Amino acid sequence: MGKKILIIALFLLFIFGWVTGAISVRERYGDTAILFEGDSIYNHITVKKEGSLYCMLFGRLRDSRETCIDLNDPDLSVFEYTAMMFVGFLFHPESKNICLIGLGGGYIPSLFSRYLPQVQLQIVEIDPLVVKLAKKYFNFTLSARQNLAIEDGRLYLRKNAKLFDQIWVDAFNSDYIPAHMTTREFLLLCKQRLTTHGILLQNVHGGNQLYDAQVETFRSVFAKVFVFEGERSANRIIVAADRPLYEPPDLWKQGLPFQGKIGKIDLRREAKKYNPKPSIKKAPILTDDYNPANLMLLRS
Amino acid sequence: MFIVYGTFLILLVSYGAAIMALEILSSHLMAPFFGGSIYIWGSIISSFLVHFSVGYVLGGYLSKRNSSFTHFSLFLLCASLWILAIPKIYIPICEYLTETIDDIRLGSLLAMNLIFFVPVTIMASVAPFIIGSIPGSHQKRGFTAGLVLFISTVGSFLGTNVTAFYLIDLFPVSRIIMGIGLYCLFITVIVLLLRIDRRLVPKERF
Repeated sequence: MGKKILIIALFLLFIFGWVTGAISVRERYGDTAILFEGDSIYNHITVKKEGSLYCMLFGRLRDSRETCIDLNDPDLSVFEYTAMMFVGFLFHPESKNICLIGLGGGYIPSLFSRYLPQVQLQIVEIDPLVVKLAKKYFNFTLSARQNLAIEDGRLYLRKNAKLFDQIWVDAFNSDYIPAHMTTREFLLLCKQRLTTHGILLQNVHGGNQLYDAQVETFRSVFAKVFVFEGERSANRIIVAADRPLYEPPDLWKQGLPFQGKIGKIDLRREAKKYNPKPSIKKAPILTDDYNPANLMLLRS
Repeated sequence: MFIVYGTFLILLVSYGAAIMALEILSSHLMAPFFGGSIYIWGSIISSFLVHFSVGYVLGGYLSKRNSSFTHFSLFLLCASLWILAIPKIYIPICEYLTETIDDIRLGSLLAMNLIFFVPVTIMASVAPFIIGSIPGSHQKRGFTAGLVLFISTVGSFLGTNVTAFYLIDLFPVSRIIMGIGLYCLFITVIVLLLRIDRRLVPKERF
């Protein structure tokens, strides 16, 4: 009788743990393992291991690999966009202060620690669970010149008057970029937080009406907008500035910074992804008042 | 009585729709100031529930006091004018709260209540007021409290879907809110002009 009760109690405990996510689910298929699956207040997050490749996935369908690090080769940019974002240093090679909105697994900050130690990096990540998982599974640590704020990126910029040489916006939730980080007002706020020659970079996906609208919105705020297009992905990096120090096609007029290499990232190769005439269809400017981002994302 | 019940029907559907349209739109008003997290939805839903409960008590109280429809329409007039003012007042309110309160949960909760308490409470009082205004004999014939709530909920269903699926795609949020305000104002003026009080049988009122 007592044994039956014990079995039932253990079963109920397991069901409770499973339902509440208190027990992290571990699955193993060959060399692939799910190390964590659970919900934060913002996302459904899965941490998956494939050999030495660790990935953090957002959303229930685990269909969009948001961030990956190869722990055997931590300098490798698993995704094309992470390497593309470093073109920012061609526009402003002497950057001292950079703000990164969106931590993911911490690949970008890890490169800053190893290869750009002179840069003061302010990281802003809204989800505390993302930070916890990045530390636990992705070897993410803050270096002496890095700060982390657990806050909404737009709210952080709003509340902190500090100026940055570069602002990198890589904020995604399980759907897409949070809508309030696509609007003209958001870009104007970023512009206010940039130094004289400062630049803003945003990682976006092409091939949808929202992308067209985002480029148009950037053009309505900044004097100069440059689009870098991924060769093996739909990623686009929008770079915007009013008075950049250097700009295409003369990005390394004064010599290639860092001898053209940041870790394994070849800046010259990434710079070639600049498209002077990106195919942008006519689209409305997004504002806090008019912003059907979710609906536009579904339209090609 | 056809005009009376036609008016009730339009009031219930219109205000039911307006309430939910405002609830959907409020997330767009909050996001630039407090972010787009689940906290914002918590603030929106809980605030509206508070406004609903106060509105239900208000509607029941006014109907029990035998307030005239004309008096009640003046409340609706206030709600309509307040809705028209929302596009002007929400930015300074949200700006002030984000600057003075660090906690986005408290900030968004206060913002939702300052911006929406008056109009949503008044609009939520429509259904209980009408329930109290329906002559007893008509309730027996099928125009029951349940039917009133059903009609109001159908309005809410329409308001939610039309706003979320179509209006947000077509117009700026401020213009949609102005449209809702103007529509509510128009309906209220019509109700005032129809002088519903004279058409209701006083003896049969609860």
